[in-house]
Amino acid sequence: MDKVNVLVVEDTPAESDKLIAALKANNFNVVGLATSFKDALTLYHSTNPDILIIDIFLNGSPDGVSFAEAVTLSPEGAKPFVFLTSSTDRQIFERAKLTKPFSYLLKPFNELELLYAIEMALEKFYEQKDVFFGDEEDTVISDNYLFIKKGKALKKILVSDIIYIEVEDKYCNIITKNEKFVILISLVKILKLLNPKVFMRSHRNYIVNIEKVSEIVPSDNLIVLSGNHKAVISDTFKDKIISTVKTLK
Amino acid sequence: MSFKYNFLFFVCSVFFNIHSYAQDIALTKNLLDTEIEKKSNRYKNQKAFAKAQVAYLNKEWDSTLIFTAKQLNISNNNDDLINYCHFFRGNAFNQKKIFNEAEKEFLKVSESFPFYNLTKMFLGTIASEQKKFEKALSYFIEIENYNSRELQHIDKLNIQENIALCYMGLGKLQEAEPYFKSVIEVQKKKQDTIRLIGTYGNIANLYYERYEDTIAIKYFTKAYELSKKTKDFYSKYTAAANMSVVEENRRQYKLALTYQLEAQRWKDSVNNQSKIYEVAKIEKKLAVEQKQKEVDVLEAENKVKVAQRNGILVSALVLLALLGASVYFYREKVKSNKIITSQNEALDSLNATKDKLFSIVSHDLRSSVNALKTSNRNLVSNLETKNIDKLGGLLNSNSAIVNGAYNLLDNLLNWAMLQTKQTYFNIEEHRLFMLVEHVAFNYQALFAEKNITFINTVSKKGKILADQESLKIILRNLLDNAIKFSDLDGEISVYSSSEEDNYIQLIIEDCGLGMSEATRLELLKETSLLSKKENEDIIGTGLGIQLCKSMIKKNNGKFSIESQLGSGTKMIVSLPKPSIDGQS
Repeated sequence: MDKVNVLVVEDTPAESDKLIAALKANNFNVVGLATSFKDALTLYHSTNPDILIIDIFLNGSPDGVSFAEAVTLSPEGAKPFVFLTSSTDRQIFERAKLTKPFSYLLKPFNELELLYAIEMALEKFYEQKDVFFGDEEDTVISDNYLFIKKGKALKKILVSDIIYIEVEDKYCNIITKNEKFVILISLVKILKLLNPKVFMRSHRNYIVNIEKVSEIVPSDNLIVLSGNHKAVISDTFKDKIISTVKTLK
Repeated sequence: MSFKYNFLFFVCSVFFNIHSYAQDIALTKNLLDTEIEKKSNRYKNQKAFAKAQVAYLNKEWDSTLIFTAKQLNISNNNDDLINYCHFFRGNAFNQKKIFNEAEKEFLKVSESFPFYNLTKMFLGTIASEQKKFEKALSYFIEIENYNSRELQHIDKLNIQENIALCYMGLGKLQEAEPYFKSVIEVQKKKQDTIRLIGTYGNIANLYYERYEDTIAIKYFTKAYELSKKTKDFYSKYTAAANMSVVEENRRQYKLALTYQLEAQRWKDSVNNQSKIYEVAKIEKKLAVEQKQKEVDVLEAENKVKVAQRNGILVSALVLLALLGASVYFYREKVKSNKIITSQNEALDSLNATKDKLFSIVSHDLRSSVNALKTSNRNLVSNLETKNIDKLGGLLNSNSAIVNGAYNLLDNLLNWAMLQTKQTYFNIEEHRLFMLVEHVAFNYQALFAEKNITFINTVSKKGKILADQESLKIILRNLLDNAIKFSDLDGEISVYSSSEEDNYIQLIIEDCGLGMSEATRLELLKETSLLSKKENEDIIGTGLGIQLCKSMIKKNNGKFSIESQLGSGTKMIVSLPKPSIDGQS
């Protein structure tokens, strides 16, 4: 599992120091600190952050909102973000609110509030409500990553690293090249959110990454994946998977 | 009735005849007119005739002619009425000197007419006016021998004189002479000087005609002598002029010149008199015009008055309308004044509250800063004496003081923002548990300081609809209070319950001082901003609780307090749940 990348846009050193310290303490990877609108745009394109924390006021003008607007307007590059502000000035908020999804953090804030804001931003951005704060689920799925809450910390997994998923009740075992871990998510939901052309069910309890298939052994009802991982294949899903794999190869 | 002396006898072409005399004639005429009026009054019911009669009596001859013509055009007139009409017409034509027409009209009058004799008299005069002396004579002689009753107001003398004049006109001087003489006799008896002068003149002319100059001159002189006694200028003029002619004929030029001059003087007087008459006429005309003008002026004034009256009426109506309008607006004004007054009172009381708030807040802040000052001085002195052990405690107390002041300022700011509606306020779905955790996180140090056990057992599933920041402000204040009123080693627990269908209740419970029922009610009151400072040390401005109430209200929530003095307080905030489908 990897740390989540955060880009901080904040012009007050005292604030940014405190913020970065809090982020690091909670296992976030701070990929950059921008102090102006221009810096922010450059860093945004060069560092590939997962999440942005933006101070609304940069050097006295609401450039933070402008930056968020710029980010929102580039759909391929849009990322979840959190606004930071020391006032709840209504007019500024009305403008910031137009940059949906909108989540904000009012200064002064504590660690809990910071984490909550980041998690809220992820949930809102990927439109998966009630993931991190309930007991049933702990993972938000984007196109490229799974964001998983482990205890207080937030981690991410590259979707393309997943070899197969084994479902047990409410849990899913995620098997990657190097790791194996459990996330809380329902089968239905994970199937809906992952790309159906890549992740296919091979069995009631198995989802395999088609791209990782190295061999199918129909007689044993086995599917051999890269790294010599083995998954079960059932009759129901066998034909579809075989045809898909054949067309790929 | 100027049928007398209208014809002149010219002996020497300058002889003057004598004229009628207005006074005398007028008298007779008046009597006659009255008589005619009386007798003709029975035909008053005939409209045209009535008008004709009035016109006749007023000597409006043209009108008389018109109305009589109208009356004559009407059929079934009786003879008498017709006679009156012809009589009036005849007289009218006569006055207008249209003698032919006059004669025709008079001839139409029948014998049954009461004034038939008078008609004959008129015919006679008309004939003599036309120099038809024989014809005239026949008329005159016909009526000469009637007695005075039959003659009806006709002076017998006039008839006789007219007969005499007719004879003269016919050149029958012998026949004329006895008439003149008898006339003179009667006139002498009557002492009718003016007419006597005229008659003397006429008889003198007669003798003159017969070349009996001596007798003629005697009569002329008589006339002249008499004329001196009268005031009648015309008589004087005629007499003097006759004398002048007589003297001239006798070659007494000097005397003739004297008489001539006298005659001239009298003539001027006559002229003057007639001028005076004319002037009087003009004056009368002017007076009439003046009257007419006055009438016009009065009419104009009337018009103006009517216009004024209308104007006054209109302006009265306008004024009335204005009055109504002003009364209406006045009442409206009074009404709005009342409202304004009550609003003013409300504003005044609010302002007073605000001022009180100011004084308390500034007092609190001053005490805080003062405490900080004292503490800092202690800190410095302890640092100088290297009394390191005490520094920690002092710093802790400093931070506690600063913390209190900060909270106060924060509430003040939030209060101001709430009042001015400057804050961003957005009701969203939130997990109550998380928010409580977030707020409580900042109080860990305080809990530790007082060794207070804090338990958050709010349901993790419980979601509410609220504005995040305002809800945090509420929680902060309630926790502040709970800590403030808790004893050392106390316990503060926060938990939720959902007894009501649409609300989640958040309960913040402490085991501290508690409060009296009075205080509780006081705190829940809608408007009371500041509670009395019963306990200087721990009871604050009341701003916090007021802010809580306002913000809970704005979040569509409810607030209540349960408390028992000495055994703790429960602050209960009810917040609305999201609707079942999970949408906020």
